[in-house]
Amino acid sequence: MRKLSENILDKFSMDFLRNQVLKNAYGNDDTVIAKMDPRILLVWYLFFGLVPWFLNDVVLLLGIFLFVALTTRAAKVAPLVLFLFCIGVFSQTGYLFIVALFFGGNTETIAPLLVMTLKVAAVSLASITVFSGLDPDRLANGLLWFGCPGQLSFSISFAYRILPVLMEEFQNILLSYRLRGNPPHRNGLIGKIRYLCYQVKMIIQSFYPLMLNTAKRSRTTVEALELRGYRYSIQNPEVKKMKLSMLKVTQADIIFVCISAAWVCVCVGLSVVL
Amino acid sequence: MNPQNKISQSQKLMVFVLSMSLYGLATLFTELIPSFQVGIVEFSVEYFLFIPLTLAMLFDPLSAGLGAATGELVFSEIMLGQFGGLGELEKFLTVTIGVYVAGRLVKNPRNRAAVAGASIFGVFLQLFMGTVVDILKVQFAVEDFEAVAGLPESVFATEGFACLNDLLFSGILFCMLPTMFLVPKLYGKIEPLLGMKPRDEKTMTGSALSAKSIVLCLVGFAVAIVAQLLAKGGYALIDWEAAWAESTTAIIIAIVVAAVVALIVFGVIRSRAKNRQTA
Amino acid sequence: MSIIEIKNLTFTYPGASEPTLKNASAVIEKGDFLAIVGNNGCGKSTLCKTLNGLIPHFIVGDMDGDVIIDGLNTKEQEIGTLARKVGYVYQDFENQIVCPTVLEDASYACLNYAMPDYEEKGKKALHVCGLSSKIGDYVWQLSGGQKHLLALAGTAALSPDILILDEPIAQLDPAHADGIYEVLKELNEKYGKTIIVIEHHTDYIVKYCKDVMLLKDGGVQWVLPAKEAMRRTDELQGCNIFPPQVAIAAERMIDAGLLPKEPFLQKEEELPVDVAEGVRVFTPYLKNKGPAYKQPLKRELKREPIVDFKNVTVKYRAVKGEPPKIFDDFSIQIGKGEKIALIGSNGAGKSTMLKMMMGLIRPESGQVLLNDRPTADLPKEELGRTISMVYQNPEEMFIKDSIRKDIEYAMMVRKVEDYQKRTDELLEMFRLTDLQDRDGRLLSGGQMRRASLAIGIALQPEILLLDEPTANLDIATRREIMKTLQMLKGITDTVVIATHDMQLVCDWAERLIVLSAGYVIADGTKEEIFADMYVRQQVGIRPPQICDMGRALGIENPCFTIDEFMEYFRGEKYA
Repeated sequence: MRKLSENILDKFSMDFLRNQVLKNAYGNDDTVIAKMDPRILLVWYLFFGLVPWFLNDVVLLLGIFLFVALTTRAAKVAPLVLFLFCIGVFSQTGYLFIVALFFGGNTETIAPLLVMTLKVAAVSLASITVFSGLDPDRLANGLLWFGCPGQLSFSISFAYRILPVLMEEFQNILLSYRLRGNPPHRNGLIGKIRYLCYQVKMIIQSFYPLMLNTAKRSRTTVEALELRGYRYSIQNPEVKKMKLSMLKVTQADIIFVCISAAWVCVCVGLSVVL
Repeated sequence: MNPQNKISQSQKLMVFVLSMSLYGLATLFTELIPSFQVGIVEFSVEYFLFIPLTLAMLFDPLSAGLGAATGELVFSEIMLGQFGGLGELEKFLTVTIGVYVAGRLVKNPRNRAAVAGASIFGVFLQLFMGTVVDILKVQFAVEDFEAVAGLPESVFATEGFACLNDLLFSGILFCMLPTMFLVPKLYGKIEPLLGMKPRDEKTMTGSALSAKSIVLCLVGFAVAIVAQLLAKGGYALIDWEAAWAESTTAIIIAIVVAAVVALIVFGVIRSRAKNRQTA
Repeated sequence: MSIIEIKNLTFTYPGASEPTLKNASAVIEKGDFLAIVGNNGCGKSTLCKTLNGLIPHFIVGDMDGDVIIDGLNTKEQEIGTLARKVGYVYQDFENQIVCPTVLEDASYACLNYAMPDYEEKGKKALHVCGLSSKIGDYVWQLSGGQKHLLALAGTAALSPDILILDEPIAQLDPAHADGIYEVLKELNEKYGKTIIVIEHHTDYIVKYCKDVMLLKDGGVQWVLPAKEAMRRTDELQGCNIFPPQVAIAAERMIDAGLLPKEPFLQKEEELPVDVAEGVRVFTPYLKNKGPAYKQPLKRELKREPIVDFKNVTVKYRAVKGEPPKIFDDFSIQIGKGEKIALIGSNGAGKSTMLKMMMGLIRPESGQVLLNDRPTADLPKEELGRTISMVYQNPEEMFIKDSIRKDIEYAMMVRKVEDYQKRTDELLEMFRLTDLQDRDGRLLSGGQMRRASLAIGIALQPEILLLDEPTANLDIATRREIMKTLQMLKGITDTVVIATHDMQLVCDWAERLIVLSAGYVIADGTKEEIFADMYVRQQVGIRPPQICDMGRALGIENPCFTIDEFMEYFRGEKYA
């Protein structure tokens, strides 16, 4: 039993988290989804992220859910993200369901909640497909095209650059704490709680060195940005035009849109027949 | 553009980058660590809000607030694909406002009492705005809100409780105490690393909270509510439509309309792309 | 034609009591390849930041005097205009890279300045810097050396007339360092760029630079042709710069009467600075080539193992595709009391090996035993008592807000008796008593290293692991670290150092382990390793200059120190 829990803890280590996040961020840049035009995908998301809210037909919702599940698979999203998705769906509607029962609800409450669950799931998967599946750079450009401020697209691009660096540093600082610290024993419930408190305290304390180290970094970064003309690019509309000129709608995009449309039509047909 | 102004611009950018990367990293982890529930009391390590709060009290509050909100949006929402559409705007604005107000309230970062008060107030502000939006959201979202047995009570109870719980648990443990611990410790140490002078009465611009900034915060809050309601407003709309169309035909029409809209947008993209090529 | 003119420049940082630059004046010609030397904190980086306009436009402070770049006064120019004339590569280049992929970052500046052919320019710069094959990669996939090249490419893409690099090879193995300098040479000769480097590796200065500027106490001492500058050994050593070993050897031999005084009266003209000159100078006076004294070639093998790697296979969690194997069926033993240098090019598995000993990386198969117990099963807290590691980046060791608290932390939480007294002793031993209340991050490079070593040995571990302890340090600080290593005797006997610093290896190590792509390709004494040309080529290790000098003269046994070298010039000449 102890072995098992240690095994699970081991799987869920910092290193694992780091790997999963990196995998999700960089590991799927050769999928069908990643190569699509970001504008098309964002419009696609507009449809699949909004339409399900308006539907109440279980069959139709199920069809859409299946479709976005397939696209999520095509985007090769990291397992951890999918796991989070499941937790998220449960916590959004599942808890309401239980609480409603507690306050004297009945089976009638279940039906709308099931529909709601399907809606939440479909919409979340659509968002996972687009935002996890797309290349960071292409996503940033797509958002820029739709008029988001240049600062946001810079932030996205910079976040993808800085993430592995920050994670490594955080990991090393935590390690310093672990190697030099002396955590309490985790025997019994009280021991476990005390151990947990110790861990949380350690994580919070490790932000003190992390803040100082990151401050040192960001100074160089901002100086370099200044030298490399970041401020000019924000002011110059020509730069935006040049950035966006690389966006091109290809045949693959059209095929993808057609498949989506066809699938939805079939689903609508099914829901009418059934 | 005078040089003095330019310098403060780049210093703001530094604070923005710092706040974005640190809070982004923290939210990324909190997103990954599942919360655990004891009954209906949720213990989640949800708030690492102490990071932007600390930065807001030491540096420019607005940059710290905006940086934190952007960091959360980019690192935990977009990178992990948890993007909730327009609804994210609510969180973006409430975090910015909460951090900004808390940062403006502190005049002397070495005064622990002021730091503690300001940080808990900032958290409260953020939580309160979130709760109001949440209650309104469910009220609009679930059809026949009043008709579902036990639902209104449960929503008020859970949301109210969640707010209080977050405030007492996350708010004190994860925001107030760490901020109290960090701000005086970092004061005078972190500023030279960014090439700035420590904040004092002179470098603080303007009064603590001007009427203008309060109005701006209120406007931001209103926008947050509207955004959230628009995002989840589908229910309300379909409810309203149900009066004239109770059949699936209405749904089919709705889908066709949506598809047509999508296609039009698509067409616009095409033509704009073509124009650019010929131009 | 002069491209840079510095006139009576004085600069004081805000809040500082003393000016960093004092009345500095210099003229730099177009097409020069200039090295700026000087001890830590003499204002080298500050001077360079005045050239690209960061001072006074970005960093406020009191600036007097003028800097004229290509006829334009920096005070009157926009930072953007200057950035296109003067490129700057930071010492912490890692933070200069702001985009996630290689090509994006290389063309980033060109895009920002709205150059329509920005992508072409980025590609061209990458090509010049030898990164053509990495165009589509993510930045985090690159090695340290490649990242440095990328930072250079991103700067060079704007094709500025002047390129400034702050300590470009501080953290690189010799092969990568050569790579950087070859690129700079090409930029200088083929594209006519003016190159300025802040550098303290005098071997590289002699080999690549045309001129040298010596900065002292914020003023320009002199600007001289590189070889002439390197012959001014006294002045260089006065500024904590290590002149080429060959020059020092010659000087010491004159003093010891092994070389006649006569032809060397004008030291500035006659001292040899590289191996080729050394051959000309030393050959007539060489007395013998045979073994000067018998050196113990084999180290005694039977030592009780303290760490034992048993058939270890390690894979990394891959982001994409198959997980790569770092080690495959890897076995080695580390004996008690050994002084081991772990060498090999960047990415050969040195850090992984250290981390495995700390139990931070679990092997896929096989075991790492520490005192006969598998490290993977030992709790981290217990491990911390037996084995301790000092990171390459000392900043990550500082988790408290003062050095004192950092040093005592591990002892305090373990309730070591008299921990305060012991902390006092450690502070005294590492000469940190006066600094004990300062935050580690705000110290100078050398002080930071000393503090991190003190933290590392606070628990009196049996084994100490050091990752690149001398990177980024000037000579004085490196000597200090060496002294500190000697002080460890009696506290910690077994020490393993992963390093590129061959001088450190030669002066200190008893056993060398050479790693290449996860395999031990050589294991033995320095004599064995440096004699093996195959190994040297395979991993790009380079013994100190004096060793090559001896070889060039045809001396049979390799000599690792100047004293050993001098032995061959003593006594009678025999046929």
